[in-house]
Amino acid sequence: MVTLFGKRIRLFRPRSIWIRKLVQWFFFVLIALIAINHTLAESGAGISFLSSASLHAVCPFGGVETLYALVTSGLLVKKIHDASLVLAAIILILSILFGPVFCGWVCPLGTVQEWVGKLGKKLFKRRYNHFVPARLDNILRYLRYGILIWVLYITATSGTLIFEAYDPYFALFNFWSTEVAWSALAILGAVLLLSVFVERPWCKYACPYGAVLGVTNLFRVFSIKRSEMTCKADGACSILCPMNIPVDTTKVVRDHQCISCLECTSEAVCPVAKTVLFTSGGVK
Amino acid sequence: MTLTSKSVAISLLVMIFGGIAFASAMGWWATESTKVPITFTEGEFAGQANPADIRGSYTFGDIASSFDVTPEVLAQAFGVQEGDPAGFTVKDLEGMYLASEYEIGTTSVRLFVAYYTGLPFDTTDQEIYLPQSAFDILLDRGNLTSERIAYLEKHTVIVAEALNAEQPVAPVRSASAKASPPTTERLVKGKTTFGEMILWGVPQPAIEELIGGPMPDPAMTLKDYASANGLTFETLKLDLQAEVDKMRP
Repeated sequence: MVTLFGKRIRLFRPRSIWIRKLVQWFFFVLIALIAINHTLAESGAGISFLSSASLHAVCPFGGVETLYALVTSGLLVKKIHDASLVLAAIILILSILFGPVFCGWVCPLGTVQEWVGKLGKKLFKRRYNHFVPARLDNILRYLRYGILIWVLYITATSGTLIFEAYDPYFALFNFWSTEVAWSALAILGAVLLLSVFVERPWCKYACPYGAVLGVTNLFRVFSIKRSEMTCKADGACSILCPMNIPVDTTKVVRDHQCISCLECTSEAVCPVAKTVLFTSGGVK
Repeated sequence: MTLTSKSVAISLLVMIFGGIAFASAMGWWATESTKVPITFTEGEFAGQANPADIRGSYTFGDIASSFDVTPEVLAQAFGVQEGDPAGFTVKDLEGMYLASEYEIGTTSVRLFVAYYTGLPFDTTDQEIYLPQSAFDILLDRGNLTSERIAYLEKHTVIVAEALNAEQPVAPVRSASAKASPPTTERLVKGKTTFGEMILWGVPQPAIEELIGGPMPDPAMTLKDYASANGLTFETLKLDLQAEVDKMRP
């Protein structure tokens, strides 16, 4: 609070959800160490106290990819392990409760896109994340459902993880190995380059797992809710939403692209207390 | 109920790691495969391990646990010169044969194990290659059908013998152009199969004339046939050896 012309005025500086960044760092380092240890373990030099599981084993999307094979033949797709199913179940429960928190808080590929996006924010200021024309953007956001259907189809018909050859997440943590395909590295490069202009381009337009989790936004228990009584309609929540969701025009955010990052809430960019909340109840 | 970011972070970590701990306690948490292939579910081989399910992550020792083939035989077949063949990982074959024009890897091991053990294996529309050393072992074992011999004839490649980490593999000779005779000596023995006779170039009508009947299963040995049909093996052997000698270049 400062006093200007005899009046006490509260100066607002947008905050960030620091604990989310801490959690993102934690999972990025954890997955990176597991991936490195997996490579070391193959040559007999792994670190014993650290998991040497393959990247496929600690990726919950594997649990989704193998569902068809599991239901029809009782088997898992090659390279997928029981751990993927366990993680998929945990993430599904989390998403039903809180929405796609996996995307906003855990996924290391999302984290890396955010890190690269910081460069874009410095370069383009407010223009960052607003380059794609709205009409085209709206259409492109459904592309990930098409990719999801394609991935499930090719996995079901081939019985192998063909998507691995195009998966930027796999490339991110295996770029040093001969297992990663050039196509995956090229897609990773494109995603990182686009991240300079658009926040989380992979998440918005292409991620098949984001498509699965995004559906939970329609019925999740805890949602982002805006109080129309106290809202000043300054648009801060919408401008700074990484997924470009118009929070300031909705009462309850049910957008399929919300990643539950909480950056729009009164705990972060919203300058008015108890106005944009993450709650299971109603707001006035 | 309204949640803060701290509550979300704690809930997230508790649910993920608590869930993993619970799954571990229940025996559901597995980050590695069991290294046991699936089994045939029907037919003559029901209950036996299916070679088509051998994975790149398996070691020769893992394969030996499920199939009647020793790690030493696998090592000899694929030119692996490691001190402990049981610990050799199948997917490392691809690195060994990196310079090869034809891929020799996990599918090659599946094919070899199936042919070695006589288990079913579908090669329809598949181009799977074996090194000459593997082909020789299969021939010596003598349980190949004529179809399998014919397939191998077109899918055996010759590679340099020095297959160690320091020595890159020499390019293979064209598989389709393979015409070298088997390295094994062409001597008709009791264990010689009818399939081998065909492989050595003896015409089927000539064989049928000598045995006085239709060609039996190519996997059948000469001695077994002679015993089953009341023929004197020594006489049959001499006649067949004469036919084989006619085919020598």
